Amino acid sequence: MISFIIFFFFAAVAVIFAAMVVLHRNPVVGALSLVASFFALAVMYVLLEAPFLAALQVIVYAGAIMVLFLFVIMLLNLQHQAEPHTRPVQQFLGYTSSAAFGLALIYYLAKYGVTKLPEGPFVSDARTVGIKMFEAYIFPFEMVSILLLAAIVGALLLSGRTGAAPPVTGENKL
Amino acid sequence: MHGIDWVDVGLSGLKIAVVLGAMLNVTPIMVWVERRGSALIQDRPGPNRVGPFGLFQSFADALKFILKEDMLPAKANKVLYTIAPMFGLIPALTTIAVVPWGRPFLLPGGRLFEPIIANVNIGILLIFALASMGVYGIVMAGWASANKYSLFGGIRASAQMISYELSLTLAAVSVLMSAGSLSLVDVVWRQTGSFVLFNAIKLPAWNIFSPAMWIAFVVFFVSAFAETNRLPFDFAEADAELVAGYHTEYSSMKFALFFMSEYMAMATMSALITTLFLGGWDIPWYNEPPNALGFALSVLAFVAKVSVLLFIFVWVRWTIPRLKYDLLMKLGWKVFLPLAVINIVIVALFIAKRWL
Repeated sequence: MISFIIFFFFAAVAVIFAAMVVLHRNPVVGALSLVASFFALAVMYVLLEAPFLAALQVIVYAGAIMVLFLFVIMLLNLQHQAEPHTRPVQQFLGYTSSAAFGLALIYYLAKYGVTKLPEGPFVSDARTVGIKMFEAYIFPFEMVSILLLAAIVGALLLSGRTGAAPPVTGENKL
Repeated sequence: MHGIDWVDVGLSGLKIAVVLGAMLNVTPIMVWVERRGSALIQDRPGPNRVGPFGLFQSFADALKFILKEDMLPAKANKVLYTIAPMFGLIPALTTIAVVPWGRPFLLPGGRLFEPIIANVNIGILLIFALASMGVYGIVMAGWASANKYSLFGGIRASAQMISYELSLTLAAVSVLMSAGSLSLVDVVWRQTGSFVLFNAIKLPAWNIFSPAMWIAFVVFFVSAFAETNRLPFDFAEADAELVAGYHTEYSSMKFALFFMSEYMAMATMSALITTLFLGGWDIPWYNEPPNALGFALSVLAFVAKVSVLLFIFVWVRWTIPRLKYDLLMKLGWKVFLPLAVINIVIVALFIAKRWL
């Protein structure tokens, strides 16, 4: 009973703030709403008895990634910029693809049922996740790490293209 | 559906009341310690008019905060400006829930009393998750004030806190590896008892005394200062450069809330350092009896350790000058992050060799 109330409260929070992300004109408010939405999703994980995933959701998405988003938005100072009007073809494509996605979502939710929980014991503590990751899923795990490494090297290359690095003086050397 | 265990609910309520009361009283006491401590270090009297040794100065300050006018800058984002101080306070108040603060003992009814509000098996992750939310209070305040200095404070805070969170978490990983658990209760139990270092000195089995943890302790300890925005790392407010940083535009009780969250975050960090490295509630060279006496003594030991760490926070603030901002980022990314990773390898080696 209590878990039902908690579920519907945080489901409402997640949906309302997700809508805010799309609808609000101010990008900073949008980013903060996304944080609230992620936080409400973490509560869903707790209700599914997966507190480990909930903690990771908050640490990685709400805590780390969204701070970087906010950081970039604040540095770009987007708050007073009026957006240029979009072309009709862009609007048409946007509305139709969102509508198609929404319809597909409703169809599959109706087909597979929304009220059923996954069968069998659902174990997701740190130990189980770690063992699975380093035994069954070691190959995709390593692939992702190589992908991330490539992205980091690429980012460094792109940001470091301003000629020679400034000479290191005694003052800014650690 | 089985019935609700009302005794359990009552005990939980009692524990929450005690811990919350202690946390709320940390701020006035610490403000007094800070002002008297800084006076001691700078060789001046400090506040000494209100009450004995100026002890009631904090209460006079609190009264002043309540009576001051609550300002709202004309161009501020009203909603975010108002909720930002609360957002800073919530993580500072809630993280303490997973820290054990005494030895469990059997109550007269045969019920085990565990002096921890929420004994969850992901304890340390919960702390890092909530601590990472703490930065939003500062960022929101900085942005919503519509003031350039505040914005700089908020941006600096977000950059600094993501950088140091990494080394903080990785330093904690060393401890968790040796304990083999994410629960802080297990981490403390792992540190009870004693061991003999280099066949010579008998030391309590605290992590700080284990050679594998020395680097981790230094990294964690210094990163804790950066994470709580204290000098020498207080770039979010840096009064010489940014007026007062993210809380330049705040007044009255809203400003006081930022103050409270700073001191509570300090208390939580001290409790965390105590739990991870200084044996938590363990009393050195003494085996606490599993009864009310042992419980009381262990709580006293925990409070004593946290108090010493809190005093060190004050001591460092008034002794070490502020770093330059680029040095802070270099220190975080080029020194502490590699050191924390190296320490993980060292701990893994110790575990593989069965020295830990």
